[in-house]
Amino acid sequence: MKILVAVKQVAALDEDFEIRGDGRDVEAEFLLRDLNEWDDFSLEEAMRIKEASSAIPVEVVVVSIGPEEADETLRKCLAKGADRAIRVWDDAIENSDPIAIARVIAAVARREAPELLFAGTQSSDHAFAATGIATAALLDWPHAAVLTQLTYTPGARTARFRRELEGGLLHEMETDLPAVLTIQLGINTPRYASLRAIKQAAAKPIDVLSLADLSVPASAVGEAGSLSRVRRMYVPEKGRAQMIEGSVEEQARRVVEIIREAAGGAA
Amino acid sequence: MADSDAVTRVLFEDFAPSAVRLFYAIGYAAIAVFLYGVYAQVRKYRRGAPAGIPLNLWPRLESMLEILLSHRMINRRDRKAGEAHRLIFYGFVLLFLGTAIITLDYDIVGPLFGVHFWHGEFYLWFSLVLDVAGVMLAGGLLYMMYRRGWLKPPKLDYARPDRAPTDPDYDRSNYRREDWAFLWTLLAIAATGYVLEALRLVWLQGRPAVWDTRWWSPVGAALAEAYRSAGLSAATAGVLRRELWWFHGMLALLFIALIPFTKVKHIFTAMGSLMFRDPQAAQRLPREPADLPRAGVQFITDFNWKQLLSLDACTKCGRCHEACPARAVGAPLSPRDVILSLREFANKTLGAAQLPAQAELDVHGKAPGQVAMETLWACRTCMACVEVCPVAIEHVPIIVQMRRKLVEDGEMDPQLRKTLQTIHKTGNSFGESRRKRAAWTKALSFPVKDARKEPVDVLWFVGDYASFDPRNQKVTAGFATLLHDAGVDFGILYDGESNAGNDVRRVGEEGLYEVLAEGNINTLSGATFNSIVTTDPHSYNTIRNEYPDFGGQYEIEHYTTLLLKLMQQGCVSVSRQLDLRVTFHDPCHLGRFNQGYEAPREILKRLGCELVEMGRCRSNSFCCGAGGGRIWIPDPVGAEKPAQNRMREAARIEGLQVFVVSCPKDLTMFEDALKTSGLEGKFVVRELIELVREALIQ
Amino acid sequence: MSGVLIIAEHRRGELRPGTLELVTAAQGARRGTDKVAVALIAESPETLIAAASVAGVDEIVTVKVPAREFDPDIIEAAAKALIEARQPSLALLPHSIDAFGYAAALAAKTGCGFASDVFRFEYLDDRLVATRGGYGQKVNIEVDFPGKAVVLLAVRGGAYKPPEGTASPAVSSFKAPAVKSRVRSIEFIEPPAGDDVDMTTAEFILSIGRGIGEEANVQKFRELADKLGATLGCSRPIADAGWLPKSRQVGQSGKTASACKLYIAMGISGAIQHLAGMKHVSTIIAINSDAAASIFSIARYGVVADIFEMADALEEQYQ
Repeated sequence: MKILVAVKQVAALDEDFEIRGDGRDVEAEFLLRDLNEWDDFSLEEAMRIKEASSAIPVEVVVVSIGPEEADETLRKCLAKGADRAIRVWDDAIENSDPIAIARVIAAVARREAPELLFAGTQSSDHAFAATGIATAALLDWPHAAVLTQLTYTPGARTARFRRELEGGLLHEMETDLPAVLTIQLGINTPRYASLRAIKQAAAKPIDVLSLADLSVPASAVGEAGSLSRVRRMYVPEKGRAQMIEGSVEEQARRVVEIIREAAGGAA
Repeated sequence: MADSDAVTRVLFEDFAPSAVRLFYAIGYAAIAVFLYGVYAQVRKYRRGAPAGIPLNLWPRLESMLEILLSHRMINRRDRKAGEAHRLIFYGFVLLFLGTAIITLDYDIVGPLFGVHFWHGEFYLWFSLVLDVAGVMLAGGLLYMMYRRGWLKPPKLDYARPDRAPTDPDYDRSNYRREDWAFLWTLLAIAATGYVLEALRLVWLQGRPAVWDTRWWSPVGAALAEAYRSAGLSAATAGVLRRELWWFHGMLALLFIALIPFTKVKHIFTAMGSLMFRDPQAAQRLPREPADLPRAGVQFITDFNWKQLLSLDACTKCGRCHEACPARAVGAPLSPRDVILSLREFANKTLGAAQLPAQAELDVHGKAPGQVAMETLWACRTCMACVEVCPVAIEHVPIIVQMRRKLVEDGEMDPQLRKTLQTIHKTGNSFGESRRKRAAWTKALSFPVKDARKEPVDVLWFVGDYASFDPRNQKVTAGFATLLHDAGVDFGILYDGESNAGNDVRRVGEEGLYEVLAEGNINTLSGATFNSIVTTDPHSYNTIRNEYPDFGGQYEIEHYTTLLLKLMQQGCVSVSRQLDLRVTFHDPCHLGRFNQGYEAPREILKRLGCELVEMGRCRSNSFCCGAGGGRIWIPDPVGAEKPAQNRMREAARIEGLQVFVVSCPKDLTMFEDALKTSGLEGKFVVRELIELVREALIQ
Repeated sequence: MSGVLIIAEHRRGELRPGTLELVTAAQGARRGTDKVAVALIAESPETLIAAASVAGVDEIVTVKVPAREFDPDIIEAAAKALIEARQPSLALLPHSIDAFGYAAALAAKTGCGFASDVFRFEYLDDRLVATRGGYGQKVNIEVDFPGKAVVLLAVRGGAYKPPEGTASPAVSSFKAPAVKSRVRSIEFIEPPAGDDVDMTTAEFILSIGRGIGEEANVQKFRELADKLGATLGCSRPIADAGWLPKSRQVGQSGKTASACKLYIAMGISGAIQHLAGMKHVSTIIAINSDAAASIFSIARYGVVADIFEMADALEEQYQ
């Protein structure tokens, strides 16, 4: 039994970041990279299935689409107990949207043939909430998103899960396998990867594949393979919030005034 | 005086040869039991890991003997018990030497060379000294009984904060029984010795060589006079003496035989523990060899032999229990109980003839002898226990090594886990961007040198709290101004600095510590400077004591000594006396860890402050509760925090105006605690730097 | 190839409010004689017609499918067939939890242009440009769709207000291809009550987020909320950590604080779901120590301050 976990090395913006010269992204030096928080939960969910299964061995394979620096993220996953890691990169993949990335992940999934493919519900940087579900479409696998609970016993032909809807309502569903499931925060408590484990994981190999290895044409990725294209990135006008300045006491006084006004109106 | 040869004690006088042979047989049996016991204990220690320390026995022996003979460790914080122990110790040693001298005369040089020296004047002095020794021993023992039976100090009640009364290993009655048995046995041996001596005098009252010299054994002689006046005849005394002789002899042999199996073994284990102690045990934690199969300590066999030996040295004196800040606020930790649990565990597993399967050697958990994670995480690594232990037990490394295993398994508070991840990601515990580390310098009216780009005399390692915490930033800017105005050529590392790692290491995240230490050393090696200064005692400790293990040798001082020098040199001159009634809180990492007690006090004096010490000061300073990573772990809701406990202590000082700290974390902890303990308004918490700045204002 | 097609969302027999917001969104995308059509893909689509007949809707297309509740396979197949048949220039759906489960699949299968979490879109030189957030809402990203005749947009909830007034749109029906369903709905489970607070009716909410640091601090803000007469709410991480019951969570995945008129967010930096869920509130006061927190982008008033100091100061000032 195999679970493929798609993970992303996301970026957060550093202080005083600057937009790139071409206006389509932030200067790379201001990008602080890390494992996507949602993917941490989906890897943990895979590890739980693996560790709870005694009769049937479960292999957890992580895959990430990204340049060499994404190895750091994969190593973190290996440190947490993933059996293998695959990284796919090719310069042609640059400027891919989530659907183009999904084409590459789908190719990896065809090659690995897992029973389950996990992805985070979304990524913390661009929040498309699209990659996992698009991968399912390209594979023509059943799929479900925003899982907050999963019950699956290796060997079973279906998996039961709950997704969390607006207002906290839960929807219990069941899916045939193989399937793509996207995992929501809070489904579990991701384990800690100690630095010792991360250092030891440095010895584990990461399979690096090219598009050719996966027989994905360059036209299927990058701008050509994408369904959207970034035209411009800019820092929005600092909201519409009217900032209250002054000492803490002065600020508090003003807030209390606003509360009284608004509460009066509300009541 | 009678003939010198006759002035002695005839051994086995009036004993049938078969009786003497029987005594020797029993004596050899006792020694055999003793030796087997020693073997079993040594086998237990050898089942531990190698200690990897240089043996250099002579200097170790010397320093051990110095502590042993001076009793300076055991005298601390419990003077009377220490003095009573001194009496018992010296009494016991003299009596032991006396027995050894008799054996030397009677069993060795006598039979081998026909030489006897145990008679005449030597014998008389010998008698006198041993009589006095007996009084010392008995006196010490009686005080100890009085202390246990009547004074009943709480540290001896063996109440366990880490167990509930319903737990199988909560009950400590066996320890209590053993304590009393130990005292009574020794006292009985001493008392029967005197009675024997007296009976012998009465029995041999007709023999001038005995009777005329009786006052050389004053206690025995006095008793003998009493027996005689009570009408005891020589013949009856002879019979009684023979019966009692056997009782006394058997008791003594039993005592010897049982040494390795009872608390008596501390005679040896304490000496061993003192000999192999590490004077830097808590200041410089052990490195984790790269080839270890697992992180830290999981199994009892992961402790090294020296640690296992030191577990057996514990005499349950309770000094650590009393000093522990976690215990003081009701946390489920007593350093004593950690040691006793592990000792019980070692005895059960490593003490067995066959080493049990590995699964039974796991020291983590809640079963008898195991240590619960709640206990390990309660520790502040403040070193109060290590510092006060009279037998050199090193609790903090033991706890941290066990934590390393917990960290590896992720068995920690979620907030701590998050903080460690944050530190790994951003290099600081605040989760702030590296670029913001020197943001506090923007408020200054002068530029601060980037020590990576230009040489400086003094490199200031700022540390996380001083860099990022808004309240501390004001102090940090104040210190920068002080240095600048004093003409000190200083610089900082800007975004090249990372968390120094002191607390990360004490949490047990050794891998992350290595990353931080190596990163900082790498940055420092690219800078040119003469010495380092820091306002943060935590950074100070690890850079001073632990970075050398990673190749970083620096001259570093805490700001208090630098500031004092600047004041002495007149570079910083006080323009007015503050006239404040203050108390000073010794930060663990400055005081206990690195003996930086005097400089802050000297500065306070120069500021015209009246320093009133708290009861717990200097080496007995009470931790603010932030150490060992506890600043990143939420304290239980509702329970008292160590810092609040400290605020209440300070509040007892009549007319206190300022509670002075010299550590960024202390400032945060105590300002919070002052508010939450309802003492706000009674006094204020200030950094020493702030007082100095105030005293500069004309 | 023209017109706007809105794929309606419904649950337990009722039209979801996000659908109506799309009607407003669609008005700005009308070009020339473009029509706005709403597709009702349901087991009994006719029961939803009345609710969907709001001002701005020109046509309603009913698509009868054998699925009472959300079924990703069935809705995806029906929507794909509909898009391919009608070739609208723009297809809209709400960026909702259901859409998370099929929008990207629909896009990947039809190959149309696609962007999700869009909060603004317009035609510039006849080319559709959609705006969404990036890097935790710290930047805005404009995307376009070169060469795509049909574009599918999942629109952020709360970005548009639902229209007022009703209409009598033409109703047509469409026959969807039969597909095998591989994901089955079993049941809905109401969230556990936790405590008896009803966030949906609270008018004044004081909400706390990650900024409070540790569980022990919850009490402080509970007391502050009591003092101010506010209901204490929280963002997702606080509820996930179990520091407050799920019933206190507000934001898109939490309770819909529909009655809320005054909202104070303390230590909430503003994950997009949270922002989307609270956008309707007329007065939002955001208090955060990070001046760059995205919550300030939706708040009416912003205060950059230490939330603990501010809590103390508020307690003191509010007498």
